[in-house]
Amino acid sequence: MSLAFQVLVTGSAAGAVYGLVAIGHSLIYRLTGIVHFAFGDLVGLGVFATLLVAAGTEPVSQTSLGGGRFAAALVAGLVVCVVAGAGSYLYAVEPYVERRSTIGWVAATLAVAFAIKAAIGLVFVRSSYVFPDPLPFRRLGEDGFLSLGEAQIPIRAFFVLAVALALAAAASTTLDRTRFGRGLQAIAADADGARVVGVPATRLVAAAFGLAGGIAALAAVAAAPSGPFDVDTGVLLGLKGLVAALLVRFGSLWQAFGAGIGLGVAEAAIAGLPVFGVELGAEYREVLPLALVLCFVAMRPPRGALEEQE
Amino acid sequence: MTRALMRTAIAVSDAVRDARRAFGVQGRVVAALLALGALVPVFVRDTLVLDGLAATLYLALAASGLAFAVGLAGMPSLAQGAFVGIGAVCGAQLRVHGDLDPLLAGLGGAGAALLAGAVVGAGVFRLRPAFVAVCTWVVSWVFLLALLAFPDLAGGARGLVVPSGAALGVELTPAVHFELALGLIGLALLAFAALARGTLGAGFAALRQQPAAAGALGVPAPSLRLAAFALSAAIGGLAGGLDVQLAGIADPGDYDAFLSFTLLVAVLLGGARTASGAVVGTFVFAAILWLADRLGALGGLATGRLDTLVAAVLLLYVVAVGGEDVVDSSRRWVIDRLRSGPARLERPGFSTPPQGGPRRGPGPTLLSARGLTKRFGEVVGLEDLSLDLAAGTVTALIGPNGSGKTTALRLLSGTLAPDSGTLLLHGKPLPHGGTRTHALAGVVRTLQPTAVFGSSTALENVLVGAGLRRRDGGVLRTLVSTPRARAGARAAAGSARDVLERFGLGWAAERRAAELPASDQRLLMIAAAAAASPRVLLVDEPSAGATHEDVRRLVSILGKLRDEGLALLVVEHNLRLVRDIADRVIVLEAGRVLAAGGPAEVAANPEVRAAYLGRRHDLVRESR
Repeated sequence: MSLAFQVLVTGSAAGAVYGLVAIGHSLIYRLTGIVHFAFGDLVGLGVFATLLVAAGTEPVSQTSLGGGRFAAALVAGLVVCVVAGAGSYLYAVEPYVERRSTIGWVAATLAVAFAIKAAIGLVFVRSSYVFPDPLPFRRLGEDGFLSLGEAQIPIRAFFVLAVALALAAAASTTLDRTRFGRGLQAIAADADGARVVGVPATRLVAAAFGLAGGIAALAAVAAAPSGPFDVDTGVLLGLKGLVAALLVRFGSLWQAFGAGIGLGVAEAAIAGLPVFGVELGAEYREVLPLALVLCFVAMRPPRGALEEQE
Repeated sequence: MTRALMRTAIAVSDAVRDARRAFGVQGRVVAALLALGALVPVFVRDTLVLDGLAATLYLALAASGLAFAVGLAGMPSLAQGAFVGIGAVCGAQLRVHGDLDPLLAGLGGAGAALLAGAVVGAGVFRLRPAFVAVCTWVVSWVFLLALLAFPDLAGGARGLVVPSGAALGVELTPAVHFELALGLIGLALLAFAALARGTLGAGFAALRQQPAAAGALGVPAPSLRLAAFALSAAIGGLAGGLDVQLAGIADPGDYDAFLSFTLLVAVLLGGARTASGAVVGTFVFAAILWLADRLGALGGLATGRLDTLVAAVLLLYVVAVGGEDVVDSSRRWVIDRLRSGPARLERPGFSTPPQGGPRRGPGPTLLSARGLTKRFGEVVGLEDLSLDLAAGTVTALIGPNGSGKTTALRLLSGTLAPDSGTLLLHGKPLPHGGTRTHALAGVVRTLQPTAVFGSSTALENVLVGAGLRRRDGGVLRTLVSTPRARAGARAAAGSARDVLERFGLGWAAERRAAELPASDQRLLMIAAAAAASPRVLLVDEPSAGATHEDVRRLVSILGKLRDEGLALLVVEHNLRLVRDIADRVIVLEAGRVLAAGGPAEVAANPEVRAAYLGRRHDLVRESR
């Protein structure tokens, strides 16, 4: 039972980050009808930019960081991520959407993805990195863990979950309550119509691309000290967020967030619990949920994914 | 025995003659280049260099395979790297544990990839290209994550070592691999060329440009897409399965998403519309990477650090500059220049086509509808429509926007299944089975005139329809090029030209449809449908945006088709055209039949007048 609780908490914490990435994918799809293949890499870029300012490219221990420098790093990471996200829309998406060239934006966003990955790889040459933790979770509980029977629950996980929830709530409020958010909803409903009535669609969508990436990057930074990460971490985040968004067929913000958490919990459960009486083991953790979602998509494709019939 | 041999020999020599005729300038150049390439091992003795070249050739083979999916079927697959990987892992496993000889192991890899390609293809063939890309992207990651999670598959991070060996008594040196890869590339290019021309090629092109219009002409989208995708995967798997014998190791890290990306870059770089473009693209790409590595080494960077960045920037450049096909657009440019010689045909002035003899009376009823009903949720699309379409008559379906005309067409043509009601063809029930079933049964629909296949030539547009009834034009038969397939191809091409001539479009045969005037595009749509030899032709708003003169042409063409004994149903807004040609008019309003009868009778109907002109009296009364 306590093991199930552990799975639930750690799975939700990991899944909450997927959830924010899924929100980004879903928003982007509804705004432009495209899937941003570089989205995960943009999130990774934000994390690595934060790390660069916070601790440089040398290996660091988890504790070696002051709060002030970390705050500056966070801002730097966010700015890089937002600017890169908005730029990716203006230069890799918009021209091709305009031309109705699917292969154009597919290829361009992929190219951006690999360019970001390569650029990170040029600066951060080690195979994986530890992210410094400015918050003193290590001093809580037993070395940062909560013991519940046989389960060991990292206290960080609650923090990550809380941060992610707060970010999702902030995004939801922005979409519903602000002029910017209403503009985005108008574009999602009818892009041409929105343009006609004077919504500055290009600017708003570019901003949305940037902010969606920024929010997901913040969540990723919050989760980053929980384990080692490398240049592929961002890509995998993007992939899992995409799969979560596919699962809810690019649905609403909270649906996407929930799907992310569901995916995280599923991964944790497959690795740590007997599922329907079968103990699958950690090797199925990543592969199985992705494969299942693929089958689901093949059988029940999202709206707009099917070829239109005349 | 001898006679059978003789006949075989004659058939083969026929095939060779046909093949030689089909070889254009481009084909000859490619063949010459391949022949020159085969001489490379004679002059290059350095095993390491040959090894690298052979590996690049296998990459090119995989890229030319990807061209089948991307260029032929219009499916931007991002899983080709995974298919190469499946071929490689199976090839390695068969060699190590199955103890097969390297060639058979490679073929086994191709078989495994074919199977995987068929499964993935079955999952994605219905999807729009964007979602094909998304799903295949996830597939390529699932494959990589599986390889890393299950070390037994490919030796985990360290890879699976494959012993070298001999096949058919020949030691498989890098030089042998080089020749083998080159030969396979030649075969792949031939296969691509065979599929890209004739009725199949026209069908593929139609499917890429306007899937809905292609479907209306009965192009079998699922089987064509599935075949191209599976073939593409199989070629990728063959490349992987053989390359792993050359490399001597299967390393999971080699088959990641970057490989898929690289292959896509190569295909786009060379122009997706030809497979030889993919081969050229691979070599251009390899050369650029090699150069980048040299430059990186000058700056003190380790090998391979710049690869990804260069590939990404290159791809950004390619899509930004040339759209999707740089090479192809320049090739078109050259061909257009060559063509603009004195032999250039001008569009002749329009003359009324000769009438096909005196008009016969109406023939037997061909297609009948009884009580067709279709609802979309709460909205009535069409309610209780019954009609009879007789041979040699024209029925017009008119009504305001949203009155159910298009729904009626979609039900009659098999795009939609009715909620209730039946269709009878020649008095026998015609069950709902999709547009292809209906087209094969002789009920063909045209879409609105903007739906020509713009970058295909006029002849290719018509070939799409002419290919409908070919029994011998499937992917396999075309690849093997059986005598019957070749005879069928000749017959289809001949009948397509006839149809073009009959529609007065013979002059435009080699022109791209998008370059034709709007009025000719309009006729071309109908010509493509007529080439499918329908008995019943459903025509959707043929005169949308037409001038007075165009309408006259349309009336004359439709009249000619009617006189040939077709049953025509015309959905029309232009009441003038309706009056000129219709024997019977059905007026729809809000999904129901408002009136039906002869044109004059319907025109006099007060309810129809009210529907068309507005119920002014009612309005006046209401506003009081």
